[in-house]
This record gives sequence, structure tokens and C-alpha cells, in this order.
Amino acid sequence: MMKELSQRLLGPVTFALLALTIWLGLWVTPPDKVQGNLVRLLYVHPAVAWVALYVSFGTATIASCLYLWKRTRSWDMDRIAHCAMEVSVVFIILTLITGSIWGRPTWGVWWAWDARLTSTAILGVLALGYLALRRANDDPTLRAKRSAVFAIVSAINVPIIHFSVQWWKTLHQGATVFTSNRQLLVHGSMAWTLLISFVGFTLLFFWLLRARYRLEVERDAAYRAAFDEAVSLRQREGVL
Amino acid sequence: MPSTETSELSPVAPPKSPSRSRWRSVGVLVVLGAAIIVLLSQGILHSLNYFETVDQALAQRSSLGTKVIRLEGVVKPGSISRTSNGASFVITGSKDRQVFVDAHGSPPQLFQADIPVVVVGHFTSSTSLDFEGTQILVKHTATYIAAHPKRVKAPNGTTR
Repeated sequence: MMKELSQRLLGPVTFALLALTIWLGLWVTPPDKVQGNLVRLLYVHPAVAWVALYVSFGTATIASCLYLWKRTRSWDMDRIAHCAMEVSVVFIILTLITGSIWGRPTWGVWWAWDARLTSTAILGVLALGYLALRRANDDPTLRAKRSAVFAIVSAINVPIIHFSVQWWKTLHQGATVFTSNRQLLVHGSMAWTLLISFVGFTLLFFWLLRARYRLEVERDAAYRAAFDEAVSLRQREGVL
Repeated sequence: MPSTETSELSPVAPPKSPSRSRWRSVGVLVVLGAAIIVLLSQGILHSLNYFETVDQALAQRSSLGTKVIRLEGVVKPGSISRTSNGASFVITGSKDRQVFVDAHGSPPQLFQADIPVVVVGHFTSSTSLDFEGTQILVKHTATYIAAHPKRVKAPNGTTR
């Protein structure tokens, strides 16, 4: 009952939160002391990056681990990893696009080859590589194993991206929201709007994941039905 | 119709061999590796750090010569003057160490006093502390504060 209700509410709550983010971000929150109205990208870019790096890539990595672990191995885990990685690609591309749009007026350039931006671009290439690797393998078991190992190895890049602004000198700003000693960097209504944007985009990821997962289940069922039908047809014809 | 039946009853192609899958996987990994090497070579292989601070540049002044570098410092308030082809200003490091910058080209929208900048360019001679910039990049902080925290409502009811 609760599960059904939460599934039904996921879509409406997601879009309500995103609509609230847009309203607060564009009309209610004040311009920033330094960035002026450019600060409104704060309610999109960090939340999208959060989903791309931690939520979606994290989901794909955890599902891959669960697939490789014999006790929890199931096709569902492989399917979740695959679908989460597809959604991750979308969010990584959105991260790079929104960052570039923000970078042009603030930094003065669309792109800089600093450690944060370069390592994020590499994550995008790795995510695309994961999807390419899945298409390169015909055997489902082999495909699931190889792609799971690849996802886990690729996840090493996530902490590198996270700490890149601390380990090296980058044009990209340091940690957003909190400093390393947990001091809040975003003030007043801007902080609340940022928090709502994080929740909204995180729910958007789960909504997209659910939709993509359902599609994959339907596709597998259709494939199995077509296969069974072909086998029974040949059995009736006496071929098999 | 007979042609359709013939095609349906034609022998099924043998499953693709595992070695074919393996080679395709290897191909994907090779392309992926090449793409990552290209990105790294463009980005962080030659230097993991995007810039030199004023303090670092002055400490290595003799070895830097007139080599093109990215120099980072904070724009000293009251030092900015617009020139015919850009802007000149002073950037500071810690302990008030300073470098005079003459930069060409239009500065970014956020360029202003007391903001960290990264200037691409070189020192004008092997001993000079004057820096000739070809590009100014603004390195803004992650602190966000309302421009007018105690704003009042205008007579028309608007707050901005």
C-alpha cells in the first residue's frame, strides 16, 4: 500500500519540487552580491552535478557490486545498473552544459582544462564506455559481469572529481554549500532554494530510473514472448 | 507467402562466438583509453594545478623567465584602470606581495576589485615584476550572499 502510494506520488512530488525551485530561483531569491542574477544557475548546476556524480553513478556502482556478489546476484541488479548509467550519462552531459553556461559570464571562458572539469569529462566518457561495452557483448551473463566490473573501476573517478578542488589548484570554485569545516557558504533563502533543488533533482533521477527500468522490463518480456512464440511455431512445424 | 515461409524455416545463424564479443570489448576499451588519454593530455597531464599563485610565481621568478603561465592573485582595490586595449591592475598574494598586470582584451563580466583572477600571460622580462596578460579569468568564490539583504519595498510594491 505504502509502496504503491509512494510510486504514485513520485512523479507529482518531483515536478512540484522542480516547479518550486524554478519559482524560488527566478522570482523569490535575491541576486548575489558578486554574481548578480548569474547566481540563479546555483539552483540548477550543483544539483544536477550531485545527481550525475553521486546519485546516479553511485546507484549504478552499488547495483553492479550487488550483481557481482553471489548472494545478491540477479538480473534486476544488472538492469538497475544499466538504467542508472543511462540516466547518469544524461545528467553528466547536463552538468557539463550548465557549468559551461555558468562559466562563460563568470570565468570568461566556456571551458577550462582544470582538474575538476577534465575529470568530470572523463566520467562522461567512462559512462558512455560502459554503455558501449554492454552493446559489444552478446552473451547476457558475460555482458553483465564485464559491465559491472567496468562500472566499479570507473567509480574510482568519482572521489577524484570530488576532491580535485582540494587536491589541486583549479579554476572551478571549491566545495559548494559547505566548507571543509562544515561552514555554510550559501545564505538565507538561497540556501533553502538550493536544498529544494537538490531534493527535486534527486527525485527526478529516481522518477527517470523507474520509467527506464519499466521500459527495460517490458522490452525483456516482449523479447521472451517473441522467442517462445518462435520456438512453439517451429515445434508445431516439426522443425524442433 | 511461400517465400516468407522459406525464410522463416531457413537455418538459424550460429550464435556469435565468444571470441568475437571479446574482441569487440577490447575494441571498446582501446577507443575508451585513447579518448581518456586525449582528455588528460589536454587537461591535467602536464600540470595538475591550473595556475601559479603570485607567491609561487615570485618564488620561482628566476626560473620562470618570460614563459607563458597562468598567474592567480586577488585584484587590489583602487588599482584597476581601463586601457585602450584592456585593463591594467595590481594582483596580490599573501603578505601583500604584488604583481602589476597589463592585460589585453575585454575582461569578464565579473571582473572587479577584490576578486580572485587568473591571468594568462608572461612576465615582460626575465627580471621584471610586470606581467603582460592575454586573457583574464575570474575565479569566483563559493560564498553566496544576497546583494541587498536589507532591501525595502519600492512604492510600486516590487522588491528588486
